[in-house]
Amino acid sequence: MSSSTAATTRASASRRDRVDVRATAIGLVAVGVVLVGVYLGSGGLRWFDAALAGYLVGVLLAVFATVYRYLVWLQRPPTACLNRRGWQAFRARGRRGRNAVGLVGEVGTNLLAQGFIRRRSTTRWAAHQLVFWGCLLAAAVTFPLTFGWVHFRSVGQDGSHYRAYLFGVGSGTFDATSVVGFTIFHLLNIAAVLVIAGVAVFLYRRLRDPGALAVERSGDFLALAGLFAVSITGMFLTASSMWLDGQYYSFLNNLHALTVILGLLYIPFGKLFHIFQRPANIGVHFYKSAGAEGPQQQCRRCGEPFASALQIGDLEAVLPQLGFDYGDGAGGNYQETCPRCRRNLVTLAQSARVGGFG
Amino acid sequence: MAELPVTEAELIDRFGPHLNVEPAGGWNAGIDFDREVETHCCFCGQQCGIKLKVKDDKVVGFEPWYDFPFNEGKLCPKGVKRYLQNESPDRLLDPMVRDPGAPGGFRAVSWDEALDRTVSEIQRIQQAYGKDAFALLSGVSLSNEKSYLIGKFARLGLQTANLDYNGRLCMVSAGAAGKRALGLDRAANPWSDIPLADVVMLVGCNVAECAPITTSYVWRARDRGAKLVVIDPRVTPIARTADLFLGVRPGTDSAVLGAMLHVIIENDWVDHEFVAAHTVGFDEVAQSVADHTPEWAAKLSGVPAERIVEAARLWGTSATGMLMHARGIEHHTKGVDNVTACINLGLATGKYGKPGCGVTTITGQGNGQGGREQGHKCDQLPGNRDITNPEHRAYIASVWQCAVDEIPGKGLTAQEIMNAIHDGEIKGLLSICFNPLVSLPETRFTEEALDRLEFYAAIDFFLSESAQHADVVLAGSLHEEDEGTATSSEGRVCKLNAAKAPPGNAWLDWEIVLDLARRLGRERYFPFRNTREMFDEMRVASHGGTADYYGITWEQIEAQHGVFWPCPEIGHPGTPRLFEGGRFYHPDGKAKFFPAPYRPSAEEVDDEYPIWLTTGRVISQYLSGTQTRRIGPLVEQYPEPLCEMHPRLAEQLGVVTGDVVRVTSRRGSMDLPARVVETIRPDTVFIPYHWPGRQAANQLTQRALDPISKIPEFKVSAVRIERTGEHREVHDKRVTTLHEERR
Amino acid sequence: MTVTSPLSAHLVSDQVFVIDQSRCIGCEACVQACEECGTHRGTSLIHLEFVDRTTSTQTAPQVCMHCQDPTCAEVCPADAIKQNEDGVVQSSLKPRCIGCSNCVLACPFGVPKYFALPDQMMKCDMCYDRSSAGLKPMCASVCPSQALWFGTPEEFAATRRGELLFEFRFGNQVVPTKVATVVDRADDGPLDVLGDPGGFRWQDDPFGLAGVV
Repeated sequence: MSSSTAATTRASASRRDRVDVRATAIGLVAVGVVLVGVYLGSGGLRWFDAALAGYLVGVLLAVFATVYRYLVWLQRPPTACLNRRGWQAFRARGRRGRNAVGLVGEVGTNLLAQGFIRRRSTTRWAAHQLVFWGCLLAAAVTFPLTFGWVHFRSVGQDGSHYRAYLFGVGSGTFDATSVVGFTIFHLLNIAAVLVIAGVAVFLYRRLRDPGALAVERSGDFLALAGLFAVSITGMFLTASSMWLDGQYYSFLNNLHALTVILGLLYIPFGKLFHIFQRPANIGVHFYKSAGAEGPQQQCRRCGEPFASALQIGDLEAVLPQLGFDYGDGAGGNYQETCPRCRRNLVTLAQSARVGGFG
Repeated sequence: MAELPVTEAELIDRFGPHLNVEPAGGWNAGIDFDREVETHCCFCGQQCGIKLKVKDDKVVGFEPWYDFPFNEGKLCPKGVKRYLQNESPDRLLDPMVRDPGAPGGFRAVSWDEALDRTVSEIQRIQQAYGKDAFALLSGVSLSNEKSYLIGKFARLGLQTANLDYNGRLCMVSAGAAGKRALGLDRAANPWSDIPLADVVMLVGCNVAECAPITTSYVWRARDRGAKLVVIDPRVTPIARTADLFLGVRPGTDSAVLGAMLHVIIENDWVDHEFVAAHTVGFDEVAQSVADHTPEWAAKLSGVPAERIVEAARLWGTSATGMLMHARGIEHHTKGVDNVTACINLGLATGKYGKPGCGVTTITGQGNGQGGREQGHKCDQLPGNRDITNPEHRAYIASVWQCAVDEIPGKGLTAQEIMNAIHDGEIKGLLSICFNPLVSLPETRFTEEALDRLEFYAAIDFFLSESAQHADVVLAGSLHEEDEGTATSSEGRVCKLNAAKAPPGNAWLDWEIVLDLARRLGRERYFPFRNTREMFDEMRVASHGGTADYYGITWEQIEAQHGVFWPCPEIGHPGTPRLFEGGRFYHPDGKAKFFPAPYRPSAEEVDDEYPIWLTTGRVISQYLSGTQTRRIGPLVEQYPEPLCEMHPRLAEQLGVVTGDVVRVTSRRGSMDLPARVVETIRPDTVFIPYHWPGRQAANQLTQRALDPISKIPEFKVSAVRIERTGEHREVHDKRVTTLHEERR
Repeated sequence: MTVTSPLSAHLVSDQVFVIDQSRCIGCEACVQACEECGTHRGTSLIHLEFVDRTTSTQTAPQVCMHCQDPTCAEVCPADAIKQNEDGVVQSSLKPRCIGCSNCVLACPFGVPKYFALPDQMMKCDMCYDRSSAGLKPMCASVCPSQALWFGTPEEFAATRRGELLFEFRFGNQVVPTKVATVVDRADDGPLDVLGDPGGFRWQDDPFGLAGVV
């Protein structure tokens, strides 16, 4: 149905298939930085726990892949444009102070409190907050442990008192059986409970809602399954040591390590990559304010302003890079027609092609 | 003693209309449900099939019912949002009595108190002033069973002759003309005949907005190559793409239709064989249109003569054709004449009783077709029987097991009942499913009349504007809370199924009526335990009448998705197409031509009132709006009445869209925003009528009635218009902004 | 760009969504039914507007045309718009959409809608819960004039006038779509949206006013 007009329809770009040398290099640098950090933070590997080496490998692979993908993503023309514009708007003269304050607010309300999700649905927001804070907590514990930045030593002979060390600097001792001690040793279990609760709410909502189920992508369930697997296998370890005298501990330990490493590897490729994309929303807010303060684009057909001239100009620049040509052949650009007029034009054009009923 | 118990504002605050905007539990509640109930939409005579979703005894949504053949899942916006009426916060949950000291002016009472009070007032009034001093006004949103029950209750329970129904404001002109000319009052064809027509002529029917699903049938005909002719004062959405549009001036339809017959006779496009074999009276009618030349009609109607000739040519020379009409030509003091003129066109060209041929009305009200057949019309007994015909009375008396004398005679029609109330002849009123304060002409008069009643009891599910004037309000049931049957515009008897029970202390309508009958000491005539028993008695009562339901069973309805009456014997498949083989329902089997020459409307424009006003409907509202003005998404679609006028008129008045104009007739005046459009005649304005009080278009209309059908002339009034100086933004949901913010 | 979804494997792919704008009666049944769809409950995503109510009752209904190569997805900085292997362009992925409105402004048909409160774009997804299960989308189910239609091309050819057209021209850009419109002759080329419709109206002078003062 499109053979006769193939020349004017957009040709698919093939650039995505090539390995990006620059992104590879920066990814490797990032891996190097982590390694140096591990070496320095663990006192030249003195405090590094070799049992956790597998996790470290997982982290390094995830760091490389995440950085690589992030950079490739940032090179897509619309993303690059937004990235540039967002920072421009942020750094604009006379607005830096206001923007810096705004940034703090945005991070708080948008990225941490995630009010935009709450406005869609409170239960969805609650579930997301549970998973979000659970993951953050787990990361705050496991990454320093894996890197050897934090380690614990037994104090005294009865094995009940411990001292925690950060970069080799010791804290006060604490009793493992006290509330503080229990909490510290069970931080990961707390995180796991939060995550599992969040996953359960997500699953319950989705499985009850055929609409959500229909647009569900396999990746969505994979992410939930992964979060659940990491959390539950971690809790198995605790169960084994507390109630089963360490039975199956070794097997469970390997199982847990496997799920965590697979989970880490999944981050850059799957649904969880939105963790790194979402902050761009803040850039959008700066971009939109800058656009609102500047000149507005008037519709070529109805004359009404409908968007910032900044954004329409950017689209007119980006679209050709993507292989689209919305030029009207008379020096104008169709992108300067407002969406409502576009819909009306389609209807009018169609009416003219079914002229004369009967 | 029936004026408002408290201020209008207090009434609205307590009883609404408040808007129900979301399904029960909110949009985020998920769409799981316990069951789907196959039933019908209650918001017009087409009776579209719909499945209601029910969860925890609440109606929470709908699903298209693809298998129901009439609409195959299609619905208009009223049908889509129909489910929202059930969880309305305004739903009446208790019987109430008027009490100016109570919040909102009404106090909830026990059923015993409400019914005893009602019965004692009925008895007091009837003893003091005679049986007929207590009237019953009913409505055809009721099922066939309830219509039948109401008819019987009025005659044998209340023993009053004064029973009539709001179908009097709907298709009685078509009914009267049909009975007179064809011997039967029913749509001549199933809608499946429309796609078989070579020409579809829509006369005074705004199909796209008032019978929306019919649009798809018209398009199916056009897909086959049919021509579409539209006769209307406005370029309605269906008229927009018509092959031929006749922009007729309100009140001159019979001139145009007569001129078309004139042209058909002149060009000898008459089906002489059909006329000779199956009709009587053609020559007289031919004589009556001899002077109806297209040029003469053009002067009267404003329709160019050549378009009248072309319409006549299309109708006269097409092998098949469907002419459909509705309120546009029926709401006139010559409504019966207008319909007769249409019938004459059909008879003269032999377009009856054949595939793709027919002249038919599009009944508007939910059960407008069925309701009028079961005997709750002042002049009819069940089966479309004539209440003045001794044989008919005797048959019904035998079914009802009463003495013939116990059946009262012919009573007053709806508007005449209101006139008699105003005159003090009728002192008491029971109403059900009728909101005369919005739907009758001359609102001020109706309000005065209601205030003069000694006692008024209303059975209603919401407190309608009329029920606000009641002494006792009896909380009844919504459409989806009861089962029974309804008959669609096509004549298809459909099965209504209950999705849930009435909430709170509300009763099913028929339980209320039966209890009233019992308290009146007349229970021997009302032994019913359920609607099925009413249906079965109704079948017998209709047997042998023209509207014969005898052979119809609920099982057959469900098995074949509706049964077309007449269906005189068990096992009979029903009669989708009437008049096949040219057999009409008069004793001689022939149709009768009646002359219907043009005559002026009751009111004509003059220097003082120089502009024609015609009233009508919008797609998002139903009748007096008691139900649809409580459904948020429908109110949002068209929130207030607008006065449509042509730019030429607007320019003379110095008015632009959004300017508030004062429209004044000899009956009253109203202020409303103008909408300036080229889609209406320059000498005519249009106002939709669904709103009460100061927004009621019927403040302007008049009580002039058709001499035969007694339908009021809603479609023609003379008004004057001036600017008020106020300007309001005309809300139009169909204009969206770029960045929509809905929630 | 194409992502495999196991849930969509049973999509009845021989059914086609057709929009014949000329038949629209502006009743808004589609607008009301749209928000009843399971994938975007409570939010209506179809567009329906008067073209110019002063002169005509003509309305412009617009569902997503599901471009073969969607401009909206290409201009999305966040990769938030995905096209399924059956060609249906999905609404924005909620975790990814950053609310920039690039898609709203770039879509040649004016389809995506930006919602300020969740700060996200949503768009017509052909009622994916229904169409992926072989059911008609909500709007095409209820549409009284069947301006919005869903069925097989064979059914269309057997029952409807006109031919299906899957290509639109916007200036230099030709956009092939999954959703069809209806024209008298498809061979006359893509629907030229910027071409002069010639002020075409069915009723040029409905009341015979030409020359009458």
